[in-house]
Amino acid sequence: MTSKDANPQAGKGIPLPKKETDLFRSVVKHYECKQYKKGIKSADAILKRFPKHGETLCMKGLILNCTGKREEAINMVKLGLMNDMRSHVCWHVYGLIYRSERNYNEAIKAYKQALRIDKENIQILKDLALLQIQMRDLEGFTQTQHLILELKPNLKVNWLAFALGKHMKGDCKGAVDVIDIFLSTLEQGSTDLQKSYETSELALYKNSILAESGRWNEALDHLIECKEKDIIVDNHSWLKMCGYYQLQLERYDQAKDAFLKLFERGSTEDYSVHTGYMLAILNISGDLSKRMMKSKGARALPSLMVLSEMQRSMLQKEYENNMLVQYPKSIATRRIIITLLDVESDEWKEEIQSYIQLNIKRGVPSLGDDLSALFLCCSPENGNEYYVAEDPVDVKGHQAFCNISKIVDDIIDSLENNSTFPNDEDIQPPSTLLWAWFLRSVLHEFAAEYREAIHFIDKCIDQTPTGVDLYELKGRLVKKAGDIAAAAECLDKGRDLDKQDRYINNMTTKYLLQADREKEALEKMALFTRHESDPEQNIFDMQVTWYELELAACYGRKKMYGKCLKKYMAVEKHFEDIHEDQFDFHSYCIRKVTLRAYVDVLRWEDAIWGQDTYVRAAEGIIKTYLHLHDNPTKSSEDDEIDYSSMTAAERKKAKAIARKKKLKEEKKILEEAKREDGDEAKSKTERKNLVKDQDPDGLELLKKPHLDEAKRYAATLVKNAANHLNTWLCQYDVCIRRGKALMAMRALFQALHLCRESKFIHHEIFKRIVDFQENGKLAEGSHPAVVEVFNMEKATLLGPTSKSLNAFILEWYEKVKANPPSALPLRVEVAKAMLRHNIGSPMDASKLIIENGLNVREVTLNNCVEALTVLKSIEGSEQHATEFAALAKKVYHLSSNF
Amino acid sequence: MKREIVIDFGGITNDNVEQLRIINSTSLPISYADGFYKDVVKAKNESLNKYAYHNGFVIGSICCRIQDESKIYIMTLGVLPSYRGRNVGTKLVQSVVDYAISEEVRSKGVQEILLHVQIDNEDAIKFYQRLGFEKGEMVENYYKRIDPPHCYILRKKL
Repeated sequence: MTSKDANPQAGKGIPLPKKETDLFRSVVKHYECKQYKKGIKSADAILKRFPKHGETLCMKGLILNCTGKREEAINMVKLGLMNDMRSHVCWHVYGLIYRSERNYNEAIKAYKQALRIDKENIQILKDLALLQIQMRDLEGFTQTQHLILELKPNLKVNWLAFALGKHMKGDCKGAVDVIDIFLSTLEQGSTDLQKSYETSELALYKNSILAESGRWNEALDHLIECKEKDIIVDNHSWLKMCGYYQLQLERYDQAKDAFLKLFERGSTEDYSVHTGYMLAILNISGDLSKRMMKSKGARALPSLMVLSEMQRSMLQKEYENNMLVQYPKSIATRRIIITLLDVESDEWKEEIQSYIQLNIKRGVPSLGDDLSALFLCCSPENGNEYYVAEDPVDVKGHQAFCNISKIVDDIIDSLENNSTFPNDEDIQPPSTLLWAWFLRSVLHEFAAEYREAIHFIDKCIDQTPTGVDLYELKGRLVKKAGDIAAAAECLDKGRDLDKQDRYINNMTTKYLLQADREKEALEKMALFTRHESDPEQNIFDMQVTWYELELAACYGRKKMYGKCLKKYMAVEKHFEDIHEDQFDFHSYCIRKVTLRAYVDVLRWEDAIWGQDTYVRAAEGIIKTYLHLHDNPTKSSEDDEIDYSSMTAAERKKAKAIARKKKLKEEKKILEEAKREDGDEAKSKTERKNLVKDQDPDGLELLKKPHLDEAKRYAATLVKNAANHLNTWLCQYDVCIRRGKALMAMRALFQALHLCRESKFIHHEIFKRIVDFQENGKLAEGSHPAVVEVFNMEKATLLGPTSKSLNAFILEWYEKVKANPPSALPLRVEVAKAMLRHNIGSPMDASKLIIENGLNVREVTLNNCVEALTVLKSIEGSEQHATEFAALAKKVYHLSSNF
Repeated sequence: MKREIVIDFGGITNDNVEQLRIINSTSLPISYADGFYKDVVKAKNESLNKYAYHNGFVIGSICCRIQDESKIYIMTLGVLPSYRGRNVGTKLVQSVVDYAISEEVRSKGVQEILLHVQIDNEDAIKFYQRLGFEKGEMVENYYKRIDPPHCYILRKKL
């Protein structure tokens, strides 16, 4: 036996004496049972005799880590590892500590080190696999799972995990083989071969892999085989897959049968089933069919792509003679029939009228949005696919919109005069008229006729002042007409009527935030959070991203940039947590064989940083930091007090007061922290979660280097949200400020590429191309070859026809002029460029903005304000400015801007 | 020409009492103090205080209280103007009458339903008479802020 303080194990393989070995085992057991106090006690007992025993030190560290003493824990684990580098336990613990800090790459390294010492340690292998799938090291994950499978081939989960690894890394064939081998190892009569949820899911999972690799024939045969064996429980999916494969194999009659069976099972309201059915009738297969089937929402084939006269009449016959007879109550079927008819025909008008009458009788608030799906457009650039018109200019001119408006007017007329629908005897209750007015109001809203829309919603409120939905529409209209403060009041009135209605409460909150009344907004939110503890913390815990985004924007408007950044970053934190949440699924899903859903989750998680909510948060952060970068004189403190309007003496005094205030605050924070430290000592771990936010105003965030932070977020957007235009606009804005001309240029090319299908350039891109031509310069001393390419590409940016910036601006001036509905913001940007580069007369620029009034695209309140500002700045165009203001006042009659 | 409409009844709670204010302010000549609304909510008796719903919206209400242990007193009855003439009021009063003659209430000794009506409100008087109420004595200067200030008591014996 070595001396008392020596480490009996390090590198020597000498085990602890019996008593200590037992103690060590109890440490591990206590850790696993979360009996941390007992665990530490046992560990200390060992360390008393062997203070340098590595594994004990590590285990003690691990337990300390669980009790929230991170710092101490890490030091202890490191010390333990130093004392026993050859112990897999030490490395494993070292990895676990990293894992708890979410530093997965380091954790993986540590696990691998542990495995080098103990190659067949299942627990470490499992922990490693978990991190590998989390980090999407698919190659590594598959290898690890292979090792696990070799060690324990009798466990089903090991087979499944191995197959999944192969599938995820793109080896579809391998994955199918693994599943097949697993199934072949089973004995006749095994529960894994009998009809059950798990058996069924595994079969369908295998089938989905076959389909993914385009082996339609095999997949279909396999489906049929499964049916023969009678192991499928998810018959809905089975039928859908059948129909889809048969469509791909051009077996249209069989596909038709499959979709018909789905209708029989009750899927008459599933538009993708309708689409599949129609594709089968029309004998459409291949990529087009795949794309059509993927489309989500309440649109079936006839509202997704342009069909020929013959195709339409085929479908119409089928739907009117068979589907409608079979399923007279199916709303989807009725809607589809409407989309098959010619908008100009009397038949269409009759159908739509009866559809509208049915729904206003029932009182469907969303009827307007439902009908708006009929405003279908297709432009040559879009090929044969429809999109839904949203811009008021396009809506106003749409035949379907005009017809519907006329029909609704007639209905209202008849209801007001006779309380009946046109050419009908039945007396309608007052609520029918109410919903007719409501629909008329929404239709006016689509056409940006807010004054008229408000007229109708006022009638509704006058008739039924107790209708919560009515206040919501009114609020929205008032907001759109330019008075957010009044809109918030209106919603609050509606909220008062039903305080249990969470939806109206949330809408009120949102409007209050937009009206910069964040304190009241929080009060409203707090009505629906848990009533204990801080509501703001509760909102954070509930991951209410819409609230945080609105609040951040509100702080931004109020120039409270620290708080603004903090709220945006809260959203970012939620996304990290959502990503982290995957850990709940990795082992669970494989054990429960919910493999199809699991694969969906993994793929969805891969794309979460590209979701709109995250993009909006990142954009907000980037814009805020860029603003801070562009306006460096305004530090956070100066922002709260406007010193510029004060005299020197006043300024001195104000600053002194501010300084004193700040000192006082800091002192207070310090005292609070002290007090809390004391509390913590008393009740130890319970208070762990109640750590006080050290920087509630986000002042620390303001101190970070602005450009570097903006760059960091722009990089995540570039990586994850490449299909968002704003990503590239942000990237450009960051790069040009960092003097990275090449990267800035690349961002512009990417932005142009995204909009390649549009005939017109997006004004934000136009603005930046002009800016780039003016300011984009390479760093001094760049390699001549680089300079040459740069200049060439810079010229390419101007498009194929224009050779210079002036020509580029002129080109767009003429294009915009030639197309009357050209977007207002583009007009404004072109005009601004013309003024700056003396292209045409100032009058030409001014005319470009106003020449088509507000019958142009992308008219919003903000765009009008911007347009008016530019018009006012042009010498000699006072007349135009006045005219424009009058036009804007007509649309935004409640706004104080005009 | 108007047609009867389908209605449902629903209780008055702290969360929706604001709608009662709206009904009362659109149908009654006098405004009620906060105490009135608080009492209605506090009573938590859906048989005595209720809304009439049509198609999901509140269109009318009736509020009553037990008086002297043997009487049900109708405090307010209101229907939104656009929904009048469709038997909504009748159904509201009838539902209270039904409640009053139920075993449960009768056994407690409730013997009549009564209310006050301004003397010149002939429509209301006719309305209640149709429902079996009888005109009782006149109370002078019952109302403070409206003219005429006198009222009748209408009674229905059970």
